[in-house]
Amino acid sequence: MNPSRDNTPYEDPRQLRAALRDLRDEDLIVLVQQGQKRAYDEIVARYKGRLFSFIMRMVKDPALAEELTQETLIRVYIHAAKYREIARFSTWVFTIATNLVRNKMRQRSRRPMMISLNPAPEDDEMPMDPADTRADTSEGIQREELGRLIAEATAKIPERYRVPFLLREVEQLSYEEIQQVTGLKLGTVRSRINRARTRFRALIKPMLKNETLLAELEEIEARAAAEDNGPATDE
Amino acid sequence: MRCSKARDYLSRDLDGLLPPAATTGLLEHLDACTECQSFREDLLTGRRLLAATEPQLPDNFDWKLQLRLNQALQQRAGETAYPWLEDEPASRRVQWWPAFGAAASVGLAAVLAVAVFMGPQRDPAAVTAGLAQAPVVTVAAATERVAAVTTSPAASLAGRSDRRSLFGAPRGGGLYDQGIGRSVSTGAISPSGAGIDRGWSGERLADLQTIQRLRERNDQLLRMVYQYEMQVRTLKARLDTTGTPGLDTGDSH
Repeated sequence: MNPSRDNTPYEDPRQLRAALRDLRDEDLIVLVQQGQKRAYDEIVARYKGRLFSFIMRMVKDPALAEELTQETLIRVYIHAAKYREIARFSTWVFTIATNLVRNKMRQRSRRPMMISLNPAPEDDEMPMDPADTRADTSEGIQREELGRLIAEATAKIPERYRVPFLLREVEQLSYEEIQQVTGLKLGTVRSRINRARTRFRALIKPMLKNETLLAELEEIEARAAAEDNGPATDE
Repeated sequence: MRCSKARDYLSRDLDGLLPPAATTGLLEHLDACTECQSFREDLLTGRRLLAATEPQLPDNFDWKLQLRLNQALQQRAGETAYPWLEDEPASRRVQWWPAFGAAASVGLAAVLAVAVFMGPQRDPAAVTAGLAQAPVVTVAAATERVAAVTTSPAASLAGRSDRRSLFGAPRGGGLYDQGIGRSVSTGAISPSGAGIDRGWSGERLADLQTIQRLRERNDQLLRMVYQYEMQVRTLKARLDTTGTPGLDTGDSH
């Protein structure tokens, strides 16, 4: 991800990447402000998954979630100069993402759903896209199914509770950071997270009685732990 | 401790924000309440489920981002070339300028067309000759012309060969011979455009002043007509009450 000429003092990209990896987010964005494009690559690597996960759980539409994640990261780059270290970088990024999501959801609620009278394009008419090379393994399907159930449960939590809930449970932002992202009072943040947890628990309660599902959860966790402990692969 | 309070504490405990004093009370409650124990376990399992089902980014995410970023930067570079456009957000940027510009152009074109087609038609040779032999106008001759203009509107129009009625038919035969004259102020149609001098001077300010003057005069006349009508009605009413036959105003039904 290097939109223009790099001005790094490092000659070896690996050396540079390793150096950037050790930096805090706040230091990276300062480098971006100074024109260090590789620092932006590192920010993208750190945040793309987190942002996509958060936005996907908010909008429940993979294409839209991808678009909004990209939009957030583009805004981070374009408005990097506006960042001041009065707040944590993650707070700033998630504020951008939350605002984008809210605007999009507001637009969607205003605009009635349109149904196209044109027939759906045939398979061979579908626009070409580089293939998604993720392996379609049984693990993928298992995880996908579980993910679908959890996404459905999450989507049923009202939006005003869902934002602080996801920022806390998924992104592990502190209450103060959530307060900054949402603009709510600290007490309101706490009570909304509490209510969302109670609601989420009620929604997943039937799932928790399902032994197979719990076994799947344990399998997924074991696999993830094995991957984390496995040999590290250098890019 | 009540279960509702214990669950609030549980939520805070999950985030490591529960003070030690409250933690003791919570643990005591949990020992005695199986419902709240189950609640705590469910919250922890919910957290595990959320972590295990984190949505995966599509593999082509990076190149799509690269593409969009390049587009955004190009667009931004274009915008920087016009810094005055960056002063306000795109959403608030004046949207009516193009429409206004188009409407103004059409209006200007229409005015020019009217001025060209209905304006003075002079023979260029005559104009040149006229300029070479500048007429000497004496005070007496000028007075005569003024008198002629003020006595007859028709003469007024006839005497000003360099002006034509704005909406009337051009005199002396021509393409618009069958045209109709329309009063600028009231829109009333007169057979030939004669009656009021509505000559088009070609100067915007002068013409606007003429139009304004005519409107004021028209309003004044309408007020006078209204006053006369009221007087007539009053007189008729008086006559009716006195039993004498009323005046024939031409509007008896």
